[in-house]
Parts: sequence; structure tokens; C-alpha cells
Amino acid sequence: MIRTAVGLVALIAFGAAHAQDKPKPPPAWHQGKPPAMADSKLAPHAGRMTETPRSEIPIDNLKLPPGFAVEIWATGIPGARAMALGDKGKIYVGTRIIGRVYEITDEGDRRTSRVVVDKLTQPAGVAFADGSLYVMAIDKVLRFDGIENNPNDQPMDLTAKFNLPPLQHHNWKYIRFVPDKKLYVPFGSPCNICEPTAEYGQIRRYNPDGSGMEVLARGVRNSVGFDFHPKTGELWFTDHGRDWMGDDGPQDELNRLSKTGLNFGFPYCHAQGVPDRDIKKADPCKDVTKPVALMGPHAAVMGVQFYTGKMFPAEYRDTMLIVRKGSWNRSKPFGFDVVNVRASADGKNAKVTPFMTGFVDAKEGTYKFSGRPAYLLQMPDGALLVSDEQLGAIYRVSYAAPKK
Amino acid sequence: MTSRPCKGRWALLTALLVSAAAAQDRVPLCAACHGADGNSETPGIPSIAGQPKLFLETQLVLFREEVRVSPQMQPAVKGLSDREITRLAEHYAALSARPARNEPADPAQVKRGMALAQELHCGSCHLPDLRGRQQIPRLAAQREDYLTESMLAYRDNRRSGGDTIMAAALYGLSGADIRALAHYLSRLR
Repeated sequence: MIRTAVGLVALIAFGAAHAQDKPKPPPAWHQGKPPAMADSKLAPHAGRMTETPRSEIPIDNLKLPPGFAVEIWATGIPGARAMALGDKGKIYVGTRIIGRVYEITDEGDRRTSRVVVDKLTQPAGVAFADGSLYVMAIDKVLRFDGIENNPNDQPMDLTAKFNLPPLQHHNWKYIRFVPDKKLYVPFGSPCNICEPTAEYGQIRRYNPDGSGMEVLARGVRNSVGFDFHPKTGELWFTDHGRDWMGDDGPQDELNRLSKTGLNFGFPYCHAQGVPDRDIKKADPCKDVTKPVALMGPHAAVMGVQFYTGKMFPAEYRDTMLIVRKGSWNRSKPFGFDVVNVRASADGKNAKVTPFMTGFVDAKEGTYKFSGRPAYLLQMPDGALLVSDEQLGAIYRVSYAAPKK
Repeated sequence: MTSRPCKGRWALLTALLVSAAAAQDRVPLCAACHGADGNSETPGIPSIAGQPKLFLETQLVLFREEVRVSPQMQPAVKGLSDREITRLAEHYAALSARPARNEPADPAQVKRGMALAQELHCGSCHLPDLRGRQQIPRLAAQREDYLTESMLAYRDNRRSGGDTIMAAALYGLSGADIRALAHYLSRLR
């Protein structure tokens, strides 16, 4: 059973028709909302499902350190999230509500896009390996072989092998191959705060065909971004903190998986050792691996990219760029930016500094944001692509040393 | 929902569909079921006047993408561009919502519906006046029969597309609760 602060989440999916006498849980993102906040009007921000014309993208608002430049690289791809680079340079982009996966082709002076597959339930996970595109929706896994050569390729349905659990909340995916040709897949906790059953709240890896599943990390709330350390190969992943515990936390996390089987604390212990207010147990933080860095309250920390290119200045080599899509469960906005995180390979001495800002007017203190960055992709030339889920666009960040 | 409510209008619909592809103007097609001013007089068909623009836009896209499944709406939105969808959303968002011509309100049902709306915190997202915002629809003055059927569909996981939030919000409500809520909401302005 899943025990929640206020109700029984598992029954939402399975028992609604027979539920006349059962307690009523609030929506999954609403669980753990205290009586004092019952009338709070904070709610997840609306996405935009229609194309945003290039002329309506306020690119001039975006700020970067000296020497860096940003341009609008692709538009007209509503809901753009994670990006995967094909062997021949095509880029595949996942989405959530709109149900599409896009293919972007670089035509030199412009980019064109087409829909590879649609009508899926939140196909947020895209990965590319050995000529094949892998798409993971909440309830489906598809493989498109040779997609870059054959646009009409019909997918192989691998769903049965992956044994995906049924609850949808926090179970949209971020997926990646590397470095060992296995596919890394998070399975979020299907609630704001609850004790998830055994198939949720974890990060797994599989062989590419769905066999050989291993659970790598537990106690994970909602991880939708990770990368592998360029020197150690270890998995570094972001995780969203719970809601409805006030404006200041618990903060989102950047974690490091130094060995298989670590527990990252959810739902009992958050951030650097904050016991949960609703789900309690003795010694809640015992044997919990603490984060490398706190990423800010309700920041919605997303894509992680270890920068290994040669275009950016040398001090960026092997440091991380991390996206914070921006808060909703907080009276004033936090995040809506890309930060640079430096830490030693053992996860010590982490330092978070702003990198790309200007998506929200911080001075205003209101939720008037112009975009919401989501994911990063380092290109072969060392430039960095940044997807904007709100505006359905991709930006390209490049660097040129200032002229002496 | 079935196509029964608009059955007598299929000839008109078909004719409009054919011309709409060229004329790029589907307001007359929408009006055939949703009412000339976006306030539906057709059983089972929602009023769309005064709905938030983003809500209308999102639902039209979800119909077009066949993420939200409706045998009536799928042909009606087929081939619409994003720009046309936005224009339709703006058109209907700007019109005034008015309650359907219901029979007089039952004070006991209104009282029960109001109490339930408060208990369920409908106003947290739909706002205290229940006129909706952004991606969240207006409930005030919506047709009672449409509200009832929509809430039952959410509760029983029959509503495709979009988020899972409403299914969870209505979890465990009885049919009588839902009818009382719909009775109350449909009579708000």
C-alpha cells in the first residue's frame, strides 16, 4: 500500500469506480497541503500548446557571462523538453502533454522540424544509440531503427519488456544511454508526498531491449535530469523537492550516485537532512545520502550537462550546467535560469553560480516569466543548446573570446 | 457523449466543414452546436463563451492531436493551424458567458453544491468566482448536464488527455454529489 499524508494514492488509478466510501485524496500535487494553506491559489503553471512565432521570443532579455552569446536556434516545437542527438546530426525532442516527438534537421542557416510520432502519453524521454531512436512515454517504449535515413520508419514496441508501472504522476521520463550502453530511466514517486510502493521513487537501468533491469537508487522523489561525470563515469542527477512546506524548502537537490543501492531519503528526509512534516519515522535521515548541492526552493531542477567541449573557456571544462525551470509552489518566483555548478569529483565543495538568466523579471517578484528553460545538449562544436518548454523553442549558446 | 444532440445539423456541419477548409473560418461550424454566441443551448454540448483563452487553445490542440478523444470534435478541428486555433480561442474568450435556460434552482441542491465546492477547494485553481484562469476552465454558468457528465468522466477515468489532476480531485464523490455540484456551478454567473 501507499500511505499518503491524507489518502490512498494507489486507489486513484485502480479503485475510483468503487470509491464511494473511501477517503478523498487531493490531486497528487496537492497532497501534504496544510490547512493553513488550504486557500492558497498557487498551482502549476500552464504550458503553451501552440507555436510561438520567432518574433514573440524575447531573446534580448536573456543574459549570459561576458563573451557568451545566445541566438534562437529553432522554433515552432511546442512543449520542447529533452533533446537527443542522432548519429547524423538530427535532433530528437520529447514533450509531455502535447504527446509528440519532434525531429529537427539543421539546414545550415535555419532549422526545420517534423513530428516523428504523436498521440503518446507524455513522451518526454528520448535517447539515441547505434542508429536507433528510443522514445519513452509514461506507458510506452518505442524504438525507431535507422530513423535518420528512413523518415517513415515504423517503430518496434518494446513496452512489455520494460514493465512500466501504472501510476502516471511524476512518471514522465528523462532517459539516457551511456556510458555502458545501458539505458538509465527514473521512476518518480506518484505524489507530492507519500510512501511509494516498490516500483516507484527510484532510478533504474536496463539493457537496450528492456532486459537486465537493475534498481540503482532509491528514495528519489522526481528526477528528470542527469548526466555522467566525464572522469569517474558516475551518475549525477537532479531531484525535485516536495511542495507545500513553505516558500523556503525543502530545496531541490543535485545528487551523486557513487555506488549502486544508495538511498536518497524520500519521503522521510529531504535536502541536507530536513525531516518530512507529514510522513514521519524514527531517525528519518539514517543511511540517507545527502545531496552534492542544494539547488534552491521549488526551483524545478531539470537537465544536467557536464561541459566537455572546447568552445567555452577552460574553467567550464568538466563543470556542470544545470537548468532550473522555475518555481510554482512559492509566493515569489525562484529559478527560471541555467546555473553553473562546480564540485570536485567526489561531490565536495559544490558552488552554484548563475549562467543564463532573464527568463523572469526577478525584481518584479511576480510570476511574469517569458520562458521556461528545460534541458541542455552539448553540440559537437561545443555550443550548448537550451530548450524552452514554454515557448517551444531551442536556443544556442556559444562563446567567442573578447577581442583584446 | 454521442453525436445525437447535433444530429439534425449534420448536413450543415458537413457543408461547413468542406467550405471551412478553404474559408479558414470555423465559427459558423462551432456555432452549430455551441450556440451563436458560444452559449450552448444543445444538451450535452458545453458553452465556450467566456472561457479562458489558454484553456480553449489547449483543448483545441488536444482534440486536433487526438490526445483528447471526441468523435464530434476530431472532424471539427481537423486541419486547423495553431494560428486558427488561437483566433478561435480569442473569439470565444471575449464573448460573455450566461447561464443556460435551466429550470429554477433547487435551493437545497445549491446549498449542497456550494458546500461541496468549498470543501473540495475548487476555487484554489478555478479561482473563488469559479470563472477559471489560464489553462483552467470556467465552471460558472456552464451547462448543468455537461458539468455532470464531465465530472463523472473525470471521476471514472474516462476523460482522455491533459492532466490527472481532476480525476484525483473528484475521487470518491458520489453521483449525487456531482449532480449537486453541477446544479450549483451552472447557476453561477
